[in-house]
Amino acid sequence: MSEYVLELRGITKKFPGVKALDNVHFKLKAGEIHALMGENGAGKSTFIKVITGVHAPNEGEMFLYGEKVQFANPKDAQNKGIAAIYQHVTNYPDLSVTENIFMGHEKVHKTTKRLRWKEMHAEAKAILQDLGSSIDPKTEMGSLSVAQQQIVEIAKAISTKAKIIIMDEPTAALTARESEELYKITERLRDQGASIIFISHRFEDMYRLASQVTVFRDSRYIGSWGVNEITNDQLIVAMVGREITQVYPHKKNKAGEKLLEVKNLGKMGYYADISFTLNKGEILGLTGLVGAGRTEVCQSLFGITTYDNGEVYLKGQKIRVRNPKEAMNLGIGYLPEDRQLQGLVLDWGIGRNITLPALKDLSSKGWLNEKKEASLAKKLAEKVNVKANSIFDLVSSLSGGNQQKVAVAKLLTADLEIIILDEPTKGVDVGAKSAIYEIINNLAAQGYGIIMISSEMPEILGMSDRIVVMREGRITKVIDKKEATQEVILEAAMSEIKEQVV
Amino acid sequence: MEQRTALDKQGYIQRNLLDKKDFSLKGFFLQWEWMLVIILIAVMMINASLSPYFLNYASLRDGTMIFMDKAYIVFPMAMIMILRDIDISVGSTVALSSVVMATMYNSLGVPMELAVVICLAVGALCGFINGLLIVKFKELSAVIVTLGTMILYRGIAYVILEDQASGNFPEWFGFFGWGYVFGIPFILILFIIMAILFGFLLHKTTFGREVFAMGKNPTASRFSGVKVDKIKIIVFTLAGLMAGLTALFLASRMGSTRPNVATMYELDVIAMAALGGVSTAGGKGRIIGTVIAVFIIGYLQYGLGLINIPAQTLLIIVGILLILAVAVPKIKLPAFVKRK
Repeated sequence: MSEYVLELRGITKKFPGVKALDNVHFKLKAGEIHALMGENGAGKSTFIKVITGVHAPNEGEMFLYGEKVQFANPKDAQNKGIAAIYQHVTNYPDLSVTENIFMGHEKVHKTTKRLRWKEMHAEAKAILQDLGSSIDPKTEMGSLSVAQQQIVEIAKAISTKAKIIIMDEPTAALTARESEELYKITERLRDQGASIIFISHRFEDMYRLASQVTVFRDSRYIGSWGVNEITNDQLIVAMVGREITQVYPHKKNKAGEKLLEVKNLGKMGYYADISFTLNKGEILGLTGLVGAGRTEVCQSLFGITTYDNGEVYLKGQKIRVRNPKEAMNLGIGYLPEDRQLQGLVLDWGIGRNITLPALKDLSSKGWLNEKKEASLAKKLAEKVNVKANSIFDLVSSLSGGNQQKVAVAKLLTADLEIIILDEPTKGVDVGAKSAIYEIINNLAAQGYGIIMISSEMPEILGMSDRIVVMREGRITKVIDKKEATQEVILEAAMSEIKEQVV
Repeated sequence: MEQRTALDKQGYIQRNLLDKKDFSLKGFFLQWEWMLVIILIAVMMINASLSPYFLNYASLRDGTMIFMDKAYIVFPMAMIMILRDIDISVGSTVALSSVVMATMYNSLGVPMELAVVICLAVGALCGFINGLLIVKFKELSAVIVTLGTMILYRGIAYVILEDQASGNFPEWFGFFGWGYVFGIPFILILFIIMAILFGFLLHKTTFGREVFAMGKNPTASRFSGVKVDKIKIIVFTLAGLMAGLTALFLASRMGSTRPNVATMYELDVIAMAALGGVSTAGGKGRIIGTVIAVFIIGYLQYGLGLINIPAQTLLIIVGILLILAVAVPKIKLPAFVKRK
């Protein structure tokens, strides 16, 4: 019998064009809480999916209690005692707690196949009480708080008799007190003999709970340490310490006049007290963890959503944008994060996609001038250097990087002054990345004011003139390019905000 | 092969993208509309072999008068389906606008010219209300909203006229349903004009392009500055307006109207649009296809009517045709068929 309940050796998982996991190792001891840390995109999520049988690895071996295993599907993994609790709770809000707990493994009468509700309610209640929770199993899932739902998810894992429980950023949406309750439950699980993989961005979580920490970076295994063997600084270096290999061809721009000023912008439940300025020719990096409210702020500026309070000034004039069309007419453009859903019409050609925001300029009295359209599409597609044969090639046939170039070309149709880029290089390979960086820099050099949302540290550091860091809907720090280091940004992105008396 | 890439001064690859499409004969003939033409010819041949009265100019010409009224609604319905929505209230809208028109003229003494305008206005208003409700209550699907208004509009028509007929229109009003211009039925001429207008609107204007964009990806359209709500309301209003026009033709042809006229019109209209190649998944469809489909279903009903096939049997045939039209393009061929 092996010392480890779960061991993964040399796991590699490839997706078309990307290595999501590259020769990764992991060892989980019985009855330990093992923290798995890494930046966004480090490969943690793919790793969980390998353990839970969602993805089959291309290379590598997996051992469960010393025996080599291969999971055919998630059910297979579940039967062998592995359960995962995901970051975004995946439940049935209209069903009762009991139904959620026993979904997929209901207790049924042997012959009549009737559901044995009494038994299930009783067992659900017992499990929840055991976790120290007083949730009534008959309540509707949707009426519970996120923290309570998380507890139900844990109860579900227990009800499947899981011995290995993976928790994917369970504290991301919880308050400090709720997190503390979750810590206690997690410890109780461990004391009852379960082994736990705890994935988190927060250092507090790791120090409070884990005895061992493993770090992934850029889809690779970096190392594994006892929590007491490693200092905070060493851990940060392990998480972000990659060399900046990409070239950021930053031209020296003089930041010009003030373009945009945001004052005390707030939206209930999303962000509050957001104030910053943007100058001509400047690239303003906007960073923070996923869910910090970056996208929400920018979508409010672009008129996708509204804000409750605060003011926005464009060149000194107060504006209130009600829809994207107004924003574009005022000279504000937005490159959405999800280019497949929000950015592009995938089964349209390159040309039609590029001209969609500019149809008005390409028509007279509503009649579309297709010649003019084709020549504009050709000009812009060539300007951003889309790899294709003709402007009629379907966008769905392009690689991620070239799709993004098409999305950028769409912005160039309008007469813009401010361009907001939401994760412009997400899902884009390295070669195309530097091409996109170059486009962004050229735009800044031409005098556009650019707000670039990004979770990628090297990108933020390499591209921005100033960096705004957000956490939980508030700005925690504004850093000048000269003072910016990965450590400073990471600390601002993760630190607790000082309680503010409003 | 033409040279389409070159290096510029800094050594970057400069691409030259084609901006003209090559004409492909194979692609031209692989269009759904040719399939529809074949179906139309088949329908004509079957009809001609079943009834000696079918295949002559007068019969074909006057046959159009019978099915052409509802055909007007097919164009906006095609646009609605391209937007991934549906409108099942158009039959009730026809009934309500004709009933309001008849009541205005007969009971309130409104001149017929004005009553005709009111008929169109009521139709447009019904469509506008549909559009407004769908835009304001995004969690409700169009089918539910228009199911509600379908019952509502029909109900109002019954309240106004209490299951009676109202007619006695002036003689000139009969021109809509029975009139000829240069020996061609007026209703057919106006249909062709409308087909051309809607064809231009959908295929040659920015409005049409934005309708297609919304059908393909509503979220991306919104992010691209397309005024999605406004477009949706306009399209539904157009459907109401065309239903109002249909009400004119129907009342004119029948000489009177009742609250129960035009029942199930919506199904015929949706069938015509779907057969015409308008995708129910949105974003796809052409006016030319719907025009051919109107004639297929119209002549099928007319021809089978000539040989006294009961209406119920007609429903069966239209139903089968519709399922075939929707299913055939979706059938997946076995892998070996596609291989070279």
